[in-house]
Amino acid sequence: MLSVENIEVTLPNGKRLVDNISFTVARGEFVAILGSSGAGKSLTLRCIVGLTQPSHGNISILGETGKTYSTTNVDAKGLRRARRHIGLIFQGANLVKRLTVLENVMLGRLGFISPLRSCLIGFKDAEARDAMVALDRVKMAPFAARLAGSLSGGEMQRVSIARAIHQRPLIYLADEPISSLDPKNAEAIMGILQPLSRETPVVGAFHQPAMVAKYCTRAIGIRGGKVVYDGSPDLSPRQLENIYSGSDGDPIPMPALSEQTPIGPSPFFVQPASHQAPRDLGHGAPN
Amino acid sequence: MATSLFPSATAAVEPPFLEWRTRLVRQRWRQVATGGTIALLVAITAWRCQVNLASFLLGIDKGVPIFGLFFPPDWASLPSMLKPMLVTLVLAMIATILGIVLSVPCALGASSNLAPTPIRLILRFFIALERGLPEVVQILILVAVFGLGVIPALIALSLSSIGMLAKLLADAIEEIDPNMLEAVAGTGATTIQVIRYAIIPHILPALLANGLFRFEFNVRAGVILGAIGGGGIGYIMRSDMLTLDYQAACMATLLTLSMVFATERLSDFLRARILDGGQMRRGRQRRSIAGAAAQ
Repeated sequence: MLSVENIEVTLPNGKRLVDNISFTVARGEFVAILGSSGAGKSLTLRCIVGLTQPSHGNISILGETGKTYSTTNVDAKGLRRARRHIGLIFQGANLVKRLTVLENVMLGRLGFISPLRSCLIGFKDAEARDAMVALDRVKMAPFAARLAGSLSGGEMQRVSIARAIHQRPLIYLADEPISSLDPKNAEAIMGILQPLSRETPVVGAFHQPAMVAKYCTRAIGIRGGKVVYDGSPDLSPRQLENIYSGSDGDPIPMPALSEQTPIGPSPFFVQPASHQAPRDLGHGAPN
Repeated sequence: MATSLFPSATAAVEPPFLEWRTRLVRQRWRQVATGGTIALLVAITAWRCQVNLASFLLGIDKGVPIFGLFFPPDWASLPSMLKPMLVTLVLAMIATILGIVLSVPCALGASSNLAPTPIRLILRFFIALERGLPEVVQILILVAVFGLGVIPALIALSLSSIGMLAKLLADAIEEIDPNMLEAVAGTGATTIQVIRYAIIPHILPALLANGLFRFEFNVRAGVILGAIGGGGIGYIMRSDMLTLDYQAACMATLLTLSMVFATERLSDFLRARILDGGQMRRGRQRRSIAGAAAQ
């Protein structure tokens, strides 16, 4: 179980990027965090992993045996101890491209291996077998010997999920895991994450409300660093509008960006075309 | 610019005008000006430095007979030269290996995404110093300390190998995707584990390829340093020249040439294998284009 209590991230200039966010995630939940770019989704996830330290608030993960792991207000050792119970899935998969797929999956358990052993001897055969099981779960076992750099985006994302599975975490965090994938691959990834969430809760940042409605069990809407929605993943257009309106205190002026998109090609592409127009006329006239 | 000179551009444009416009756009005058400037500079320097074609031709006239003294090469001296040649080769090899091994910690300490600023600045200063001092200057200092022999040449070559490889490696480390490092650190790995499993695999191909390149360089530099007092084939070549034993010197030159050529071919071959997707170790199929792109 994950509990996030009143976390705040404040820039040195006083701007509050994450403003008093609290939520808890229980067993069996597949939570989607929705919000426009810059709303604080990724930052919240980064805080949970301890990659960013919140200026205020508490984050703790409750283990099976009743032990709690915190990623806030802990020293480097405590942070590592907590991190190894969090399975991370990133937008870009972030595999080590120069290692094989199997080695990448085995990296998931680095936190449980003594640094001396991992440097001198490396991984054991039993760990490799476990990693293979995790790979098989995402249907990537035939690729085990390939270099990670030679995979496609969707395949990389599957491997990064296998890496998280092999870690056997208490919670999975997915930061926009399907944003850089095509719809088919995105469906496949969600299809892997959904059964996973029945055993271990998954918290993910998403941009696709339709996918969220289809696969998730709960949605949290963040706007301007605040939680503005928490409930059913099946959001009405009005509720979505509320989450994505980005009015108060949004660090990035989202309305300006969203106004430009319907026009079509950006001004950058429009300009050369208008320059070319008279020259085309000049060429065309003699014919 | 072109349209303002030819306002009728939007109307019918005859082919000759198009040609003129092309010429204007290509700005040929810039190329002419550049060429003219270079010619002028050459003329001025030739005049100031009193470069004289006559004395050049006279030199050729005198030099060709001396050149003839080099031939035929003194084949009898070949066996006695094999050992010095081996000395130069081993010298380059040890210097390269030392350079490769020691440049890794230096590079880790010199990259901005890993090391704290004070350590990084000290190491960057050391690297810049190493790279700023040519090997020849280094060996002149080292010969004064250690006397003539292989040791000063070895130290000079090792130090400059470390300097070059550490700089290239540190730059390679700084280019590593920080998200990837975070992903590995996010599993609870320690910094040492991140270095072992994320950074080393990434820099290893670059390290080996640059190390081979450095080996070639070290063979050539070893000959020069030998001539200055570092022993090996370079020293033999120089002493033969000083004792006017031109045919033996020619033999040494031929030997050096074949040695340098052989090492270059070998390192080219190995480097191509390493850069070939880094798959040599696992004996996988060749994927030259995809491998180069991934690199």
